Amino acid sequence: MSNEVMTTVRARSPLAEAWDMFVRNHAAVAALIVLFLITIGAVAGPYLYPTDPFDMVWSPFSPPGEHGFLLGTDYLGRDLLAMIINGARVSLLIGLAAAMVSIFIGVTIGAVAGFYRGWVEEVLMRTTEFFQVLPTLLFSMVLVALFGASLAMITFAIGVVSWTAVARITRAEFLRIRELEFVIASRASGAGNAKLMFTVILPNAMPPIIVQSALMVGTAILFEAGLSFLGLTDPNVVSWGQIIGSNRQYILDASYTVTFPGLAIFITVLCISLIGDGLNDALNPKLRQR
Amino acid sequence: MMKHLVKGMIVSTVLATIAAGHALADDPVRGGTLITVLGSNPRTLNGAVQSGIVTGYPTAQLFASPLRYDEDWTPQPYLAESWDVSDDGLTVTLNLVKNAVFHDGQPVTSADIAFSVEVIKANHPFKTMFAPVETVETPDEHTAVLKLSRPHPALMLAMSGQLMSILPRHIYGDGPIEAVKTHPRNNENVVGSGPFKLVEFKNGEHVILERFDDFFIEGRPYLDKIVMRIIPDIAARTIAYENGELHMGAFESNPQMVNRLKKVDGLEVTPEGYGAIGPLDWLAMNTQRGPLKDVRVRKAIAYAVDKNFIQKALMQGTAADSRTGIHPDSPFYFREVEIYDVDLEKANSLLDEAGFPMQDGKRFDLTIDFGWPGVKPQVEYVRAALKKIGIAVEVRASADFPTWAKRMGEMDFDMSWDTVFNWGDPVIGVHRTYVSDNVGKGVWSNTQGYANSRVDEILALAAVESDAEKRKALYQEFQTIIADELPVYHTNTLPYHTIYSGKVGNPPLGIWGTSTPIDMTYLKD
Amino acid sequence: MRVLQSLLIRIFYAVVLLTAVLILNFSLMYLAPGDVADTISQSMGGADKEVLDQIRADYGLDQPFPVQLGRYVGRILHFDLGYSFFYNDPVTKLILERLPATLLLVFTAQILALVVGVVLGVISARQPNGIASHFVTMLALFGYSAPVFWTGILLLIVFSLKIPWFPVAGMQDVTIEGGFVVHALDVLRHLVLPAITLASIFLALYSRLARATMLETLGSDYVRTAKAKGLAERHVVYKHALKNALSPVVTLAGLQFSAVVSGAVLVEAVFSWPGLGTLAFQSIIARDTPTILGILFFSALVVIVGNLLTDLVLRMIDPRLRGRGA
Repeated sequence: MSNEVMTTVRARSPLAEAWDMFVRNHAAVAALIVLFLITIGAVAGPYLYPTDPFDMVWSPFSPPGEHGFLLGTDYLGRDLLAMIINGARVSLLIGLAAAMVSIFIGVTIGAVAGFYRGWVEEVLMRTTEFFQVLPTLLFSMVLVALFGASLAMITFAIGVVSWTAVARITRAEFLRIRELEFVIASRASGAGNAKLMFTVILPNAMPPIIVQSALMVGTAILFEAGLSFLGLTDPNVVSWGQIIGSNRQYILDASYTVTFPGLAIFITVLCISLIGDGLNDALNPKLRQR
Repeated sequence: MMKHLVKGMIVSTVLATIAAGHALADDPVRGGTLITVLGSNPRTLNGAVQSGIVTGYPTAQLFASPLRYDEDWTPQPYLAESWDVSDDGLTVTLNLVKNAVFHDGQPVTSADIAFSVEVIKANHPFKTMFAPVETVETPDEHTAVLKLSRPHPALMLAMSGQLMSILPRHIYGDGPIEAVKTHPRNNENVVGSGPFKLVEFKNGEHVILERFDDFFIEGRPYLDKIVMRIIPDIAARTIAYENGELHMGAFESNPQMVNRLKKVDGLEVTPEGYGAIGPLDWLAMNTQRGPLKDVRVRKAIAYAVDKNFIQKALMQGTAADSRTGIHPDSPFYFREVEIYDVDLEKANSLLDEAGFPMQDGKRFDLTIDFGWPGVKPQVEYVRAALKKIGIAVEVRASADFPTWAKRMGEMDFDMSWDTVFNWGDPVIGVHRTYVSDNVGKGVWSNTQGYANSRVDEILALAAVESDAEKRKALYQEFQTIIADELPVYHTNTLPYHTIYSGKVGNPPLGIWGTSTPIDMTYLKD
Repeated sequence: MRVLQSLLIRIFYAVVLLTAVLILNFSLMYLAPGDVADTISQSMGGADKEVLDQIRADYGLDQPFPVQLGRYVGRILHFDLGYSFFYNDPVTKLILERLPATLLLVFTAQILALVVGVVLGVISARQPNGIASHFVTMLALFGYSAPVFWTGILLLIVFSLKIPWFPVAGMQDVTIEGGFVVHALDVLRHLVLPAITLASIFLALYSRLARATMLETLGSDYVRTAKAKGLAERHVVYKHALKNALSPVVTLAGLQFSAVVSGAVLVEAVFSWPGLGTLAFQSIIARDTPTILGILFFSALVVIVGNLLTDLVLRMIDPRLRGRGA
């Protein structure tokens, strides 16, 4: 079955094929557009809406829509809209960066394990199993609490605990692909290990990794929000999770201060999930979801 | 409807009429289970080895102390039916009640008093409390004589509330004195002589106490049982009060909770009491670092930080003004000191004068620290406020408490927000922040590196002065000096509130809050 | 026998790796600035340097690093997780007190998510383009995309504050009198909101996978054959297709245990649920090293046990796996 998939995908332009599949999924296309707008907002927003998110611009807890503040003000009288716009940058950045860290670790470990097999695979998969068993949030809480809640540390703490799924998927793909004819053929024609791994096998292993990576960005955003909710956050930057965390105690009387950043996270992660679904359908039409 | 109206009126004027309300209340009723709450998990239930408000509430129910205090700071008999202080102030004699027994039926004797003093001196964090007590003599079973090396007026307060739990020697004296700190019976099978005994302490869930039938005060306590639920989350606690899941809670300081619950029918919310706890919020400034060495810079910061905003907006009107290192409820408080109403012009000219000219909207950088999430709004406010006078402030995150404590203790900070308790007598909770021989000795020492020989001198005198008026005068001079030199800028009291339902009769609203026996509290039918 | 052997090998590996990470973490915690003595003094309302030094001496925190590490490893080798500086109790006792609450929450949420997820998945798979199907897809995406603590807060506001159906915090009402049934019902009432909150994330994953696998099996040859043979639709769906669809869902659930425990930390914080998560958070903030390490150890054990149970369940629903090593 997989053989068949490979050959068909290789026969035609795979990207065009995938794109055709993707655009047929209306929800995914809509999500892509929304996410694109959110990204534009994150990049250009601070210039279009130049209010400093740290400035106290009005009295605290001005409800949404009043006094010219679309989303109201927080406990210090800061403009919630400005905070959410600026928070988008940090949240998306952490999401992307943490996902990249974990994809890097996961692909490397999975690829090496799946390619070399033997004791290398044994050691690497035991390590993976171990990280799978470790409760991720607890471990990153310890890291952030001990070494400070800087953005870099938070990103690292999220990335370093989230790579196991990627490693497993990559390894499974490598195990499958390394036995395929075209790999055997290039091995016979004298291709080195590195070349085989990165230019022959990896490109063909990409579809499920891409799907998983997309989902991982969403998970990382949620993860950062969770850490911030518990107070493990950098007070010198605004992120969506951080807005929720610091407004948590006002939830009963000014619930909008938590609802809006919560919605921002929700919509973003929802879009990412929908895009992930679309990618999944487009890239692995017959592969079972993982 | 009528009833509700009346209730509303009572609530709105609760501050003024609460005392009268009590006098009019019905006679106490016996029985019932009082459901109360703790905001975090107590480390231990034994107040002889641990201070702090979370331990204070259970420990004061489990262990009796020699004295208790009424609302007017007057000592009242408790385990000691009478007492006597010699004219030179060096001998304090306690005459114990004859009928007091511990929860295991053994009588409370002077030997237990002597033992407890020893335990507290060896284990309790407040070394100043009993430091001058050299020996405790026990001429007979019911007389304990404390011999002091110097007069120690703070001693009376230190013998009350949660500060002096009397432990049974036959239970806690089975090992070295220092080992009482980790005695297994600090958390289970606790034995004291207080009005309630321990049923169960379930870490993270609850502490349950029940009436001690042989309590030495006839007919008390009124309650059959006290449940102390442990609910750390503020929103969850607020809803629990609101839904009537809790009868009473104390030491609540979250402004949103307080203001919200004030509007709830059937709940009373009052800041009354807590005078002996004396919690103060302040902006600490490291007087040995950078621009902050200059008193003009510290004054400029005070002029730029709007106390009014902190009290009205951040604390939402729940906090009271405080101007000096002594809590406004203390008899030693002196309010006629220099104050710093917001004045950005003055702040700017002070900074110019100090040699920090404004360049491109900025004069210099400072950092600010905070140790726990509750004060993050204050820290963020300070950053925004000082930006206006050209001081760029970076908030330093310390994810966990030890990181902050370490920075404070080693004076590795520019500014920090801090909350510090007076603990009744200034000798216990105030001197530590200002005397120069306590510089940089861990968190809540003189972390500001403040040194003024006159202040040292005054505080040394005040510690041993037995004449109340003379002592007051000394503290007055002290407060004037520190308000002028500003090692810390005092912004407000931390508003502790007691929240209780209309069903609760005679809630504990004295100087110790709930860190006092609640043997007189009852549930109305 | 082979099953037992493979289980034992897995447990052995896990224990070795856990010990390694405990040592690693112990070293990490030593490197970070500050220690638990500062936190103890905070909970005391302040202490002077002398007291801090005393506390450090009492708990051996003044010893050089190799000595502290040696002592810790020595204790671990004797299956002793040490003594909590902050709570004044043996770590094992502390954790065992909290563990039941977390187990109850984690397993209830998992089972709830599995059962409801599979049911929803089956319903929607029977009519892939029906309203029910779209509803399931939406619900699943919502549950997955919303931050779990946010869901919890919203549920708390609606079902505890606005409509006071469920209690706000804790696991039981200690004032209730009555027998086991009364208490069990009371715990159940406290469990509803936290369990639903936690289950909401995983419900999403399971119902999606259940739907996908059901669609696949319903389209496969042997189900078509079964239908052609004239077997009732209901019979085909439940007897054949469901059975085949279940095992990937259960496999996925097994892989999620670590994530469920992580989610439980947040849910416990929202609902003041007296479990390991609450304890973990407090210990991390207090830098109570032995307790944190103990919790990491035990929560990893929960995950391992969860995985083993998953294996057992898989063997039960899929006879083909019986007799095979894990």
